Amino acid sequence: MTRAFVPMFKRLMVLSALLVSSGFASASQLEVDLSKPDVRLDVSFEGSELLLFGAKQTDGDIIVVVRGPERDTSMRLKERIMGVWVNTDEVIFEKAPTYYALAATKPVEFILPKAVLEREKIGTEHLGLKAITAPDGADEATIQNFRAGLIRNMVRRALYSSKNSPVDIVGKQLFRTNLWFPANVHVGQYAVDTYLVQDGKIQIHNATNLQVHKVGLEAEIFSLAHDHALIYGLLAILIAVVAGWSANAVFKKRG
Amino acid sequence: MQIYLPIAEVSVNIFLILGMGGGIGFLSGLFGVGGGFLMTPLLIFIGIPPAVAVGTEANQIVASSISGVLAHFKRGNVDVKMGIMLLIGGVIGSTFGVWLFTFLKTLGQIDLVIKLSYVIFLGIIGSLMFVESLNAMRRAKKAAPPKHKGHNFLHALPFKVRFRRSKLYISAILPIGVGIVVGILSAIMGVGGGFVMVPAMIYLLGMPTAVVVGTSLFQIIFVTANVTVLQAVNNYAVDVVLALLLLIGGVIGAQFGARAGAKLKGEQLRGLLALMVLGVCIKIALDLTLTPNDLYALGTTGGH
Repeated sequence: MTRAFVPMFKRLMVLSALLVSSGFASASQLEVDLSKPDVRLDVSFEGSELLLFGAKQTDGDIIVVVRGPERDTSMRLKERIMGVWVNTDEVIFEKAPTYYALAATKPVEFILPKAVLEREKIGTEHLGLKAITAPDGADEATIQNFRAGLIRNMVRRALYSSKNSPVDIVGKQLFRTNLWFPANVHVGQYAVDTYLVQDGKIQIHNATNLQVHKVGLEAEIFSLAHDHALIYGLLAILIAVVAGWSANAVFKKRG
Repeated sequence: MQIYLPIAEVSVNIFLILGMGGGIGFLSGLFGVGGGFLMTPLLIFIGIPPAVAVGTEANQIVASSISGVLAHFKRGNVDVKMGIMLLIGGVIGSTFGVWLFTFLKTLGQIDLVIKLSYVIFLGIIGSLMFVESLNAMRRAKKAAPPKHKGHNFLHALPFKVRFRRSKLYISAILPIGVGIVVGILSAIMGVGGGFVMVPAMIYLLGMPTAVVVGTSLFQIIFVTANVTVLQAVNNYAVDVVLALLLLIGGVIGAQFGARAGAKLKGEQLRGLLALMVLGVCIKIALDLTLTPNDLYALGTTGGH
């Protein structure tokens, strides 16, 4: 946190200095930046905190939405059969984000009308996840239970934020919020959307991207395992053979 | 100190994994078992995805079996011919097992099948061992080795083969059949299968105890190697970083285990092991039967 904070603070100072010197004349009305351009999953990755900060020229509320790569996601209902909990009904939701974070200067329901929240998919309950596979005769209420289950599961994994975390306003123009990426994040391109809202209307929408990727040894092992699975499997055995052999050699010396 | 596992995609404490490897290695040196049947559920408990736990544990067993079998080879306790027969069955069984694993994964039932297999097999083996060790303690020092069974229908099977080292003349169908069953278990449960193979070799095939462990280890190497490659190719479920950490702990633990084992009596050891097996069995059974916190769970998302 502190390591991330210092360079961020410098950038924040530079940004505000720029804004002041330009006299707000030519600069765009909403500037957004991140304390780091990407999230790197390396050997010591335990989750990562990023700082999103920016400047706005007018009054108004700020909403920040971060979405991870989308993927069709299966949800299963457990039922007790002969005393044992068994997965039974399955609903597959089309293109559910693997990560969803929401931050705003106040609860989003007080900032934007419901129709806009649904259109922009702001808030987990407004994601509008569409079921592409469902058990025969499942009604909307049943699907809604599965949808709520999906969000609950993702919140428990810290991959979705259940309610919006705060966006702090610094002075009049500057704002900042912390984004948490837990250790179980998926790799891929993340969409970062920042909205400036006045009187229930989106005035400015700033869209940017963030890469979450494996680096170094992690990236090499992962791509070998997926792109050359057979070679990877054989290498795993080779490692095991060498390890087993040398373990035996150590035993022999001791014996 | 945390380490991020590239395939399991979780962050784990490096000392916890080393300690688990060491602890199970200690037990494996103490009791002379592979320990896969304890390690795989433990890995699942600490949050490793079940599929990765199974695939990775198979990889680790390759290493521990190699280091074990070399010692047995030197003493001439490996019946290679019998091992190859078991192996033929083992390769058939484990290939079918990995296919079954992938199929059950698409049905969303793999976790259930892994857990049920554990409850059933650990329950049976643990109870049998516990009763046997109690009887042995009661009989005190009147130890009688298991007698060879008389002639039964097993001896009427065709394709008889002579196994010189095991001093047996039995149908090739028997070891191949045992190999198939253990191979399937190995793929689904992520175990070497020694805890099923060893009793089957003694009581079903009638092999002399001296060659049982070495021969079992010999064929386990190849079966678990087959499982490792197939799991890597079909399910991307082998994490070499995790396997390596478990190995390091396991090698060190096994040394201490073997020394401690020399100080305890055989039936006491087996009684202790039986209690531990039953403990793991009960823990998994509770997981299956207690009401989960959330009835809705994320399923598998059709590969990566």
